[in-house]
Amino acid sequence: MSAFQDSSQGQGMPRLALIADRYNPFYILGHWSDGRFWVVALLAPAVILLALIVLYPLFYGLSLSVHEMRLTRPDLGTGFVGPKHFVAMLSDDVFWLAVRNTFLWVGIACVLEVGLGMISALALNRALPGLKVIAVLVLLPWFLPKVVAGNMWALMLDPRLGVLNDILVHLGILAQYKAWFSDPATAFGTAVVIEAWCGFPFFTLLFMAGLKGIPNELYEAASIDGATPMQRFRFVTLPMLRNVMLVAVILRVISLVNSPDLLLILTQGGPGHSTLVLSLYAFETAYRGFDFGYGSALAVVMLGILMLFTFLYVRASSVGRQA
Amino acid sequence: MIVGSARERRLWNVATYAIAGFFGLTALGPIVWLVLTSLKTEADIVTAQGVVYWPSTLTLANYRELWDQTDFPTLFRNSLSATTLTVVICLVVGTLAAYALSREAFRGRQPLLMGLLAIRMFPAVMQIIPLFIIMKAIGLLDTKLGLALAYASFLLPMFIWLMKGFFDDLPGELEEAARIDGCSRLGAMWRIALPVARNGILATTVLIAISAWNEFLFALMLTTGADTRTWPVGLQLMIGDFQLPWGLLAAGGVISIIPVVVLFAFVQGSMVRGLTEGATKG
Repeated sequence: MSAFQDSSQGQGMPRLALIADRYNPFYILGHWSDGRFWVVALLAPAVILLALIVLYPLFYGLSLSVHEMRLTRPDLGTGFVGPKHFVAMLSDDVFWLAVRNTFLWVGIACVLEVGLGMISALALNRALPGLKVIAVLVLLPWFLPKVVAGNMWALMLDPRLGVLNDILVHLGILAQYKAWFSDPATAFGTAVVIEAWCGFPFFTLLFMAGLKGIPNELYEAASIDGATPMQRFRFVTLPMLRNVMLVAVILRVISLVNSPDLLLILTQGGPGHSTLVLSLYAFETAYRGFDFGYGSALAVVMLGILMLFTFLYVRASSVGRQA
Repeated sequence: MIVGSARERRLWNVATYAIAGFFGLTALGPIVWLVLTSLKTEADIVTAQGVVYWPSTLTLANYRELWDQTDFPTLFRNSLSATTLTVVICLVVGTLAAYALSREAFRGRQPLLMGLLAIRMFPAVMQIIPLFIIMKAIGLLDTKLGLALAYASFLLPMFIWLMKGFFDDLPGELEEAARIDGCSRLGAMWRIALPVARNGILATTVLIAISAWNEFLFALMLTTGADTRTWPVGLQLMIGDFQLPWGLLAAGGVISIIPVVVLFAFVQGSMVRGLTEGATKG
């Protein structure tokens, strides 16, 4: 190796290499990269691409929400209609039902997930043999495709063949197999639990990372002061996890409000709109109804709700921290 | 966290294992059941009475039938190319941008970073409708490139944000040393920063690949033909239109999550670090 290097740097070689370099595209690019446009060149592809696939569609979507566009009714044209769609929402019973369902859906799922995530993280964070493996396995539901997760649960809850029905009957909890998704009384609750199953590992992941950052001295000091385990959790763990919780809840609420995937697979909003959330209503309006104007208007309302939520939640959390 | 007498500690340990066991079972149980179902004969799945827990015969018939007699291989290949395209776009475009955002100081850096985060907030439907219209107009609708570009609309910002975090973790001194030794800026990035950051690049790439592989909503709206349809859409349509038997459905599910599980196992350490870092730094 060293002999090779020596020979290549022998007499006369550097000059030859220099001449060759001048025609080497990497040399030219490298020389150019020391100039003024380096940062521009690094960022330009991303900025241009995002302008084309995010910003332009975003403004297009905003403008669609005040235009008529129904692919099934070309006779209506694509003219400007002002706030027509938003006014129509006010008297749209399905819309209000979807708003109510969205709040319930996001609220219940989030509470379940934070709870499950916290309990699992507290347990899995302890330095005991075997827990590391479980901590990795617990993350799997989060990476599972919704199409597989949804249908897997549909199979387990099937009114004729479902294994969960069978187990519940054997345990004496159920008298007979139940059609979980055909009964408006149970469809919503069942779907929320499945969503929480898919989502809780996200909180486990973030809470575990947060727990690792809490210095042990805090717990020792609390113990010396005679704090019970419950008090240590209440006065050391929870306050120290506040930042992580803030970020995790915001990210999760955004994705819960925005993605109708699981409900689209499990219930399509039924029975009788009992599991219809806003994102699903907007998607179905566009996908099945081809009413792009009204669908976009619904999406704009969702965006508004999310921006309001993020603003209020961040403010409430930072006010709480100062107190 | 736990301090106290030996007896108390033992109690806590038992409780810890009980909770960990519960969560392990909850997370894995359904997946195990899916695998078991995929290996059962039709007679063991659709039974006259009661559920058959352990199959009387283990068989690969479901996998064979799915692969030979349905569109599944095509769906699988379509997903593979859409995912690959998405990864290439994000990897090339995103790595450069993330490097600039991590290493260089310039006007507009902070708004750009905030903008990348805000993109997360846009409802999928708000992107899907305009993308449908635009792509239809320029002939990208129902193409793999169109789908990959649609995926990049939410995966590229995520890629840049995560990758910037990985670059931030690396000391800039290595590149400075290379610069002093006469390396160009491009050389310092290509020969020093990228090789050193390869674990982060790999983890971020895998995360993007899994997300693109799993995606359902955009694919449902933006693909219509059998030549571009991805496996989540195809599988869901087979269930709806043809009353796909449970055994085949389970086999399809298992085949589709194998790449996810393998990739996840491969880089889970770095991936977890990348995902949690942003949130825990505060």
